[in-house]
Amino acid sequence: MASIEKRKIIISPVTRIEGHARITIQLDETGAVDEALFHVNEFRGFEKFCEGRMYTEMPTITPRICGICPISHSIASVKACEMIQGIKPAYTGNLLRRLIQLGQNISSHALSFFHLSSPDFLLGYDSDPASRNIIGIANQFPDIALRGIRLRKFGQEISERITGKKIHIMGIAPGGMAMPLTAENRKALLDWIPEAKETVRIGLEIIKKFHRENEAMVKSFATSPTLYLGMIGENGEQELYDGNLRFIDTDGTILQDQLDPKRYLEFIAERSVNWSYLKYPYYKPFGFDKGFYRVGPLARLNVASKMKTPEAQEEFLLFKAIGNGKPVHGTFYFHYARLIEALCSVEEAEMLLNNPAITSTDIQTHGRWNYNEGIGCAEAPRGTLFHHYITDDTGKLKNVNLLIATGQNNPSMNRSITEVAKQYIHDGTKVSEGMLNRVESTIRCYDPCLSCSTHAIGQMPMEIDIIDKDGKLVDHVIR
Amino acid sequence: MTTITIHINEKEYQVAPGKTILEVCRENDIEILTMCHLKGIMDVGACRLCLVEIEGVNRLLSACTTKVGANMIIRTDTERIKRYQRITTELFFAERNHVCSVCVANGKCELQQLGYKVGLDHIRYPFLYPQCEVDSSHPWYVMDHNRCIMCTRCVRVCNEVEGAHNWDVMNRGYQVRVISDFNTPWGESITCTSCGKCLHACPTGAIWPKAIVQGQLNKKPEIIEELMEKRAMKL
Ligand code: SF4
Ligand code: SF4
Ligand code: FES
Repeated sequence: MASIEKRKIIISPVTRIEGHARITIQLDETGAVDEALFHVNEFRGFEKFCEGRMYTEMPTITPRICGICPISHSIASVKACEMIQGIKPAYTGNLLRRLIQLGQNISSHALSFFHLSSPDFLLGYDSDPASRNIIGIANQFPDIALRGIRLRKFGQEISERITGKKIHIMGIAPGGMAMPLTAENRKALLDWIPEAKETVRIGLEIIKKFHRENEAMVKSFATSPTLYLGMIGENGEQELYDGNLRFIDTDGTILQDQLDPKRYLEFIAERSVNWSYLKYPYYKPFGFDKGFYRVGPLARLNVASKMKTPEAQEEFLLFKAIGNGKPVHGTFYFHYARLIEALCSVEEAEMLLNNPAITSTDIQTHGRWNYNEGIGCAEAPRGTLFHHYITDDTGKLKNVNLLIATGQNNPSMNRSITEVAKQYIHDGTKVSEGMLNRVESTIRCYDPCLSCSTHAIGQMPMEIDIIDKDGKLVDHVIR
Repeated sequence: MTTITIHINEKEYQVAPGKTILEVCRENDIEILTMCHLKGIMDVGACRLCLVEIEGVNRLLSACTTKVGANMIIRTDTERIKRYQRITTELFFAERNHVCSVCVANGKCELQQLGYKVGLDHIRYPFLYPQCEVDSSHPWYVMDHNRCIMCTRCVRVCNEVEGAHNWDVMNRGYQVRVISDFNTPWGESITCTSCGKCLHACPTGAIWPKAIVQGQLNKKPEIIEELMEKRAMKL
């Protein structure tokens, strides 16, 4: 009786521990791992409670989905609003939005690499978990810790210098930006560039050294091939802010090129599954079983033909060499891809800041409700993000569809975790510490946008349920 | 000019009769919290924030609607007043659905400022979470009843200043609502001239211009007083 009650209490998503990564491992008849499911609960209900609100409130409401990539939500949202109004953003307003988005990409990638992942690389996976964190780095590698923190700050400084706020900023508006960049703030940001570049270079050295020293692990870590989706510019260059989409298959063959994001529904379908609040997206022409695709830094570099800045391009060629002309499937290379992107973002931010138009006050065009439908797309640090709104004839939202990066990566994340679980669980009982660590590093690669994944100090809090073929809970681990 | 003597917070003042306690306090930089009061339109004493203690009167009286009398002894700063102000503010928030972080008026809202003023850190009353309508039928403005605190500034400004009397009040108690014409969609109003005065008068994010986002709201409630002054001077 007691165990049944326990099962009820733990599985209910309402009682899930806030901020814990929650994983269910399903066993088959023989007690071997059937599949692992990573739960993304943060997102639930968002689309529903936006209905009945005004479309112009979406650039403010949707950034609240996530504290790490609020800017991507604002940007996808104002783009959808601009489609509803039928307007184009002002030239400088558009540049400023691009700059703010680069800033977010830099700080998000800095957080992922320096705060959350570098302890594994610098201190080792087997080092004491109690100090395998940014504090441990600060003790042993104070310069690197400080640099990592300052790189993250630089990214946030961009939005602060433009809008006055670091997180949950105001000012990204349909038609452009509500406030300009002053000459003084522009100079202050330009002054940061050399240091930011240097920090990313140091990060690149750390990861490349780790690759060299752990070649076997890196090359064999969750390598199942998937399709990839990412944004590209006019000439196939990696793009975060404003471009078209490219899908490639597991061999790198281009399936769709220069696809207008407004047509996303023709290529992406979503299926509801009974274990998750999130719908599972897949590449429509290939069907649910074969249509797994990934988004995010690894996907963006896999789909891109080149980078748009010189130093990042050099690094990009090294990255491409890993795949030898094919996509790089190894999940571990997410970290490398993230740093190459961070380098590109710093270089691109420098280019934008050197553009004399960046301090112009031509920042916003104005419109009003004109059309019933708006679709906006942007590359969030974790991958392609779509906002899709349908309104009534007064601008009130009737229907909202948000396709977030972590949702698109969720099927692949499950598969990667399943691979790990299969290695560690054989006779269907106990979860070992070794397995927890491997699961944790798998999740880190994807850098999912969950509060749990941002816990900078200490281990990732996790909650794992192992369920046998009859749905009975056989093990429950919380750490 | 004849004056009368009154005492406010143990200080003596010589003031002209016929003024309200609120007017006298404002002239003398004595802080009184208000919400339904707006210079330029009539006071109705709806919000109960401006309460003062008057010696010899048992209940608290609203400063905006109570005129000064000779030898009145008034207190504006007692613990009892502060307690009531706090309760009133909490009830504003508990009665409808105020989500400041995503509200268009965030940072520019009189209710939010009031919350800071009274040191609101939590709300002791259960939230009612009413199902409120968002009337988006007007081509330029939105009326979001979720954020309305029933100060009736819009009702009075529309009636007294614009002379249109589009807005009025329906029902009582927690079901009280501001209505357009005879409870029809604002966009179908035959009285509204779309002048926008109610928007400027509204202290919260209840009435706002459709095409703007958070951070861009620019309400100017003071224009109502200016308009009335110019009108009085026949400018
Ligand atoms: S816009 Fe003017 S006329 Fe219309 S309701 Fe408001 S105050 Fe009245
Ligand atoms: S709509 Fe605004 S002005 Fe009118 S009663 Fe409500 S809060 Fe007051
Ligand atoms: S300001 Fe006096 S009751 Fe509202």
